[in-house]
Amino acid sequence: MSNPMMSRRGLLAAGGGLSVAAFLSACSSGSSQSQATGGAGSGALTLSLLLPGDVPVGWDPVLAEVNKKLQKDLGFTIKPQFIPWTSYGQQALLKFTAGEKFDTALQARWLNMTQLVASGSIVELSSLLSSGKYPNLTATIDPKIIELNRWSGKLYGLPQINSVARFHHFSIRQDLAEKLGMSDITDFAGLEKFWYDVKQKNKDIIPIGVSSRMPKLMVAWNPVGWLNPYMWDNPNMSIASFTGDSFNFVLAADGKTTGSSNPIPWWEAPGMVDALRLIRKYYQDGLINKNALTLDSKALDSQFKAGRVASGWAMTDGLSSTALPELTKNVPGAMLANVMPLKGGENAKPYQTFQSDNFVVLNAKGQSNEKAMQLQDWVSIKENHDLLTYGIPGKDWNPDGDDEYEKVSTYTFPGFALAWRAKLERRIKDMTESETKWFDWAQDIDNFTVDPYASFVPDPEPVKRENTQVTAALTQFANPLFIGAVDVDQGLDKLKKALDRAGLAKLQAEMAKQADAYLKGQ
Amino acid sequence: MAARKGWVVGLLALPAVVFFLVFNYLPMAGLVVAFKEFDVNLGIFDSPWNGLENFTYFLESGDAARILFNTLFLNVLFLGATLAAGIILAIMLNEIRSTFFKRVSQSVVFFPYFVSPVVISIILQVLLAGASGGGGAVNDALSGFGFPAVDWYTEPGPWPWILTVVKIWQLGGYLSVIFLAAITGIPEEVYEAGMIDGASRAQMAWRITLPLLKPTAAVLLVLGVGRIFYGDFGTIYAIIGDNGTLFDNTDVIDTYVFRALRQLGDFGTTAAIGLFQSVVGFILVVIAVLIQRKYSKETSIL
Repeated sequence: MSNPMMSRRGLLAAGGGLSVAAFLSACSSGSSQSQATGGAGSGALTLSLLLPGDVPVGWDPVLAEVNKKLQKDLGFTIKPQFIPWTSYGQQALLKFTAGEKFDTALQARWLNMTQLVASGSIVELSSLLSSGKYPNLTATIDPKIIELNRWSGKLYGLPQINSVARFHHFSIRQDLAEKLGMSDITDFAGLEKFWYDVKQKNKDIIPIGVSSRMPKLMVAWNPVGWLNPYMWDNPNMSIASFTGDSFNFVLAADGKTTGSSNPIPWWEAPGMVDALRLIRKYYQDGLINKNALTLDSKALDSQFKAGRVASGWAMTDGLSSTALPELTKNVPGAMLANVMPLKGGENAKPYQTFQSDNFVVLNAKGQSNEKAMQLQDWVSIKENHDLLTYGIPGKDWNPDGDDEYEKVSTYTFPGFALAWRAKLERRIKDMTESETKWFDWAQDIDNFTVDPYASFVPDPEPVKRENTQVTAALTQFANPLFIGAVDVDQGLDKLKKALDRAGLAKLQAEMAKQADAYLKGQ
Repeated sequence: MAARKGWVVGLLALPAVVFFLVFNYLPMAGLVVAFKEFDVNLGIFDSPWNGLENFTYFLESGDAARILFNTLFLNVLFLGATLAAGIILAIMLNEIRSTFFKRVSQSVVFFPYFVSPVVISIILQVLLAGASGGGGAVNDALSGFGFPAVDWYTEPGPWPWILTVVKIWQLGGYLSVIFLAAITGIPEEVYEAGMIDGASRAQMAWRITLPLLKPTAAVLLVLGVGRIFYGDFGTIYAIIGDNGTLFDNTDVIDTYVFRALRQLGDFGTTAAIGLFQSVVGFILVVIAVLIQRKYSKETSIL
């Protein structure tokens, strides 16, 4: 009897010992890896990168080619991990906060960059960039852009831009507009008429396509809410939030003269509640897709290319026209137009922070920050940039002069997450006339007014708990309101109550304190 | 001899013991995160303690009561409906005489068990909202009968029932196979006796098969109750996602924890809710087993 007992204890001890050994070895390997952070490391190395979206069609041959060249040029390879857009922001945040060892990621203020700066999860890049070791990188990113994208003097990410200013707007089916007798849409009233006409005459087409990532853009966004006519008429409102998905405050326009930023909840600013009521009407009238809160952005993109959506979200990045080859394949004769319903059109001079919408950031716990910078330098060489961004020449694309290209496959790489360089970007051949016009417009700094709070980046750390609770309440109560799925008065009432419980007052007070301090430092 | 046998048995158990220690017990050390202000740069053990603050976040958020109710309500609904569907399907399959047709039917009802929740979510979207969010087969059918269309994705009321239908579709066939196996175990003489007494097939199903399936149903019920505090994350999250309009009726503890961690990156709070969930789940298992022992000792798993 005693022997089996002893053996059981022995077994437990052995098992426990093994487990502890495994645990300790796991801990020690973790610490040794973190010690290597920032160093060059040695031996064969594969950099791990976080990229948004689905794996591009035709990715494997392009990656093989990129890795072959990278190995030859720099002695390491890359292994990008694609994360679908529906969960990119949150999964990337989770990976950073869980201490994963990947090397670079796409980040932005509209994602979780401020949170990651506050938690020390990403690397400050000034000294790396000024080391002189990355000549191609410094030659292709304008120093002025670098300066505009510093936060309190510090650089937390490499700005990825292909135009000076970033402005969201609408990409519409111009062929439908023409069939409906509307040749040129320039204002919001024209857009509205287009949507209602599409609804009436094309029953199988959704007039306004909205994905689950878009609700926050609809009403109170910087510089304008997507479906907010007041803001399109008055594109000079300063909006600030602690983190990407968090609560938007509207800051006082005269803050510089009064010294008071006076942040107010967005619904107190002019035009906001009217926009909610208008969107509610659109939703009830069937202009907005009913599954907006669950529809994946990739699925919406496919619907758009299949010809089932009349207008979608666009950015001044010259990428709307890239949908044309697939769209015309599905709908012969289809045409696209970019509509920017700004009052005053190209002379509107809307607010702009000139901060990049996309940054490549380096993980503080990455394997080698120096090699991550070498990769950024490597993609700053035209040949490498073209290979990664457009795919294999002759198979995925054909060059058209030095600055244009013809797309011959469906390969689409999220260049803004790794390799956007304004000086190296090629425009798609056959870019539509309207997109060319607005893309050109976004290249000229003089077409914009500098937002008085342009470099103000609030620090979420002092209100971390309240900010997280407020963000959770927004997902539940604000998103349905933003797409028009709930009654405006009831929805707003529920939202306000939930936000009060979550600590909005404390968030507002902290925003005022930090924005006032920013004004004082100006 | 006995000692040697003990060693051999012990040696056989070693991989399992090591497995459970490494993957089930060692990670429990991470539960301390529930009592800490977790900072990734400091790590689990060096992050500062913050007492019960992570627990109060959940309990004071105003969401706790709703989430607990949804978790229990939905799981009771799923458990009851899938067990009932499994039994009914098993009895129906048992009545099929043609072996070929029986096999085919069994495979057909079993198949949904292998369908990924993501695929289910896409099928549902097409059925309820249409591929581009402007209609859907269900609404077409409703309008065919003269009923008004429903905005399924913004109307929380029907969702517990929609999810229950999905669960029945998913698990009914799977459970029916377990019950069919139990039916096979019922001695033929019992049915022969029934036939001699002049029972119809329906009477035999009702008075013989059903009562004799009780022990199997009881075991499955206890196993189900053991997991009752775990929301069916895979299915619910794939279908509902971050659709806030449906949270009132569909947000369960797992989806809440997942969203909290994903959106907030707050490990302390998430670990606290997870710990709370485990403790309450454990209490429920104990209660379920005690009840089963009281009413059906012969089928008790403990």
